[in-house]
Amino acid sequence: MSEETLSAGQSTDDERVLDRISLTQAGLYTSLVGLVLFYLVPVQSGFVTSIKTSDALINTQPFAPPGPNGATLESWEFAFNALSQGLINSLLFTVPATVLCAVLGSMAAYGLTLVNWRGQVAVFVLFIAGIFIPYQAVIVPLTQFWSQYAMLDHRLGLILSSHHATILELIITHTAYGIPICTLLFRSQYKTMSWEMIEAARLDGASVWRIYRRIVLPLSIPMFAVVFIFQFTQIWNEFLFSLTIIGSVNDSAASATLILSGLGEALEGVDYPLRMAGALITAIPTLIVYLLFADKFAEGVRV
Amino acid sequence: MAQTKLNDVTKVFTEDDGNEIVAVDEVSIDIDDGEFLVLVGPSGCGKSTTLRMVAGLESISSGEISLDDRVINDIPAKNRDIAMVFQSYALYPHMTVRENMSFGLEESTDMPDDEIDERVEETAEMMGIEELLDRKPGELSGGQQQRVALGRAIVRDPSVFLMDEPLSNLDAKLRAEMRTELQRLQEELDTTTVYVTHDQTEAMTMGDRVAILNDGTLQQVGTPLDCYHRPANLFVAGFVGEPSMNFIDTDLHSEADETILQADLFDYSISDEIATKVSDSSDPVLGIRPEDIGISEDPPSDKHDVAATIDVIEPMGDENIVYLQFDSEDSSREAESIIATIGGMRQFESGQTVTAHIPEDAIHLFHGETGEALHNRRLETAESQAPQL
Repeated sequence: MSEETLSAGQSTDDERVLDRISLTQAGLYTSLVGLVLFYLVPVQSGFVTSIKTSDALINTQPFAPPGPNGATLESWEFAFNALSQGLINSLLFTVPATVLCAVLGSMAAYGLTLVNWRGQVAVFVLFIAGIFIPYQAVIVPLTQFWSQYAMLDHRLGLILSSHHATILELIITHTAYGIPICTLLFRSQYKTMSWEMIEAARLDGASVWRIYRRIVLPLSIPMFAVVFIFQFTQIWNEFLFSLTIIGSVNDSAASATLILSGLGEALEGVDYPLRMAGALITAIPTLIVYLLFADKFAEGVRV
Repeated sequence: MAQTKLNDVTKVFTEDDGNEIVAVDEVSIDIDDGEFLVLVGPSGCGKSTTLRMVAGLESISSGEISLDDRVINDIPAKNRDIAMVFQSYALYPHMTVRENMSFGLEESTDMPDDEIDERVEETAEMMGIEELLDRKPGELSGGQQQRVALGRAIVRDPSVFLMDEPLSNLDAKLRAEMRTELQRLQEELDTTTVYVTHDQTEAMTMGDRVAILNDGTLQQVGTPLDCYHRPANLFVAGFVGEPSMNFIDTDLHSEADETILQADLFDYSISDEIATKVSDSSDPVLGIRPEDIGISEDPPSDKHDVAATIDVIEPMGDENIVYLQFDSEDSSREAESIIATIGGMRQFESGQTVTAHIPEDAIHLFHGETGEALHNRRLETAESQAPQL
């Protein structure tokens, strides 16, 4: 008797629970779909615009796909031709600068966190201050430094062509600017490392360098992924240094972002399909980097 | 294997605001070759700092530490040939057990790889962790990690082992097992070992000798039983032993034919022999270990008998811990209580009035101001005395 009433009571409870679950789930999925649309519509519009002929551009909605007659890959072809040298140049300075930032930042953080010496706080404060120096404030001294004092194209003229000298300048500039933030990121991870573990390694006979090489470095691989993605995107997308150090779109060292800024601009008006194709092409490398390091990135963000 | 000497070793920390804190104050200990010395004391007493100075992880403010007559003050940690086991085990999480154990040999010696492998396997076998060699620390239980940490120290065959509370992260049962095992290992290897703990049971059971520290100063160095029966001062007497020794503040009164220690609630007469030893202090502290107090239901008959009321009884099975309260005629005074341990088979009830017998042979007397021991119990009677049932 009591069983019956119990089970009857349970079934209504279950129904209520079901109702509640479906309501929250419905809400959840609605907002998720909303978010997906919010993020994807601009990308989708950019993509469809990039494959439209000028007629289709005028006659269709920005986010609607062009009909079979209105589609063309002309803009992509043109954008790729215009950007290819820029993409190579950008890769030439972004990859080395990113790797240097990460390696040097990790070493600096190790020296400032897990090695004990006097005055390290003061040095760390200098690093932190580096993060807050606005780019605008250094543009003039920076260009003067490279063009009047360093003059790499002149001094290294025998080994480097002038456009490679410009790329070297960009590598050094981006590395110098990236080290502080990388140091800060690595330091936040190293602070959570077990101090006893470092001491154990010292007692095991390892030198400061060997401890870094064999203990600290392998343990910071997830943080390297974070720094690679972050720094690569930063340097790849950077415009101000490119503009001031390279100077002209016509320079053979011109970066992708610099070329992109002028792409599709003409007296007759803006060529939207061309601009969209250029933007998408330029964005591809950052996507690739993210996909390569995504697993480790997730691990590193959790630290 | 080495003789280790600490000579007036002092450590002063300077805080950010310029305050100086003396963590270790002129500690001198000679540790014999192959000896198991336990450094024990309450937390913050400077025992870990002392150990870290021996390891080279902490600089020495003044004094000298020498290994086999070679002063090692300025020798960096990595060249001291010392292995340490940490409380957190401090294993390298990204390396397998095998890599963890070979790391020290790879870094500190030129040994060829196959010899390192051989030694790691041997040690792993000795520690019973050979099946774990290819696992990583994260996959091991606490007890297994503990064994790996010990193995990592042992495989290097150092001249001194330092252990910083290595058992405190284990559960009680495992801790008792590891205690015995550590002792067996140390005996087998015959390597000088300095072991830091705050647990007086570990200190009593494991060490060849015990060094007791308090507030950065060395209180006493001696065998565990020596420290138990002949404590140098009040601190040692109170720290060693569980439950700890009872202390009763007294005033010394000399009368015509006898000397009396006057406590708040009772008088205790002492013989002339003891009286001459305590004449320095007018207010000596009377100390008596719980197991030396006899309890009976008979009325007081001896001059060392005191009437008392049982407040609480804690049965432990093998023994009963009895909290006794001395009856106060003057109700304004707070009743004084002492702890006695008696055989587990004896039956008493709380609230019962009993007679506590405090044998004169078993009492300790300490200086009222300095806490120094003036008189320790007589040992020759301790063994012959039949357990009081």
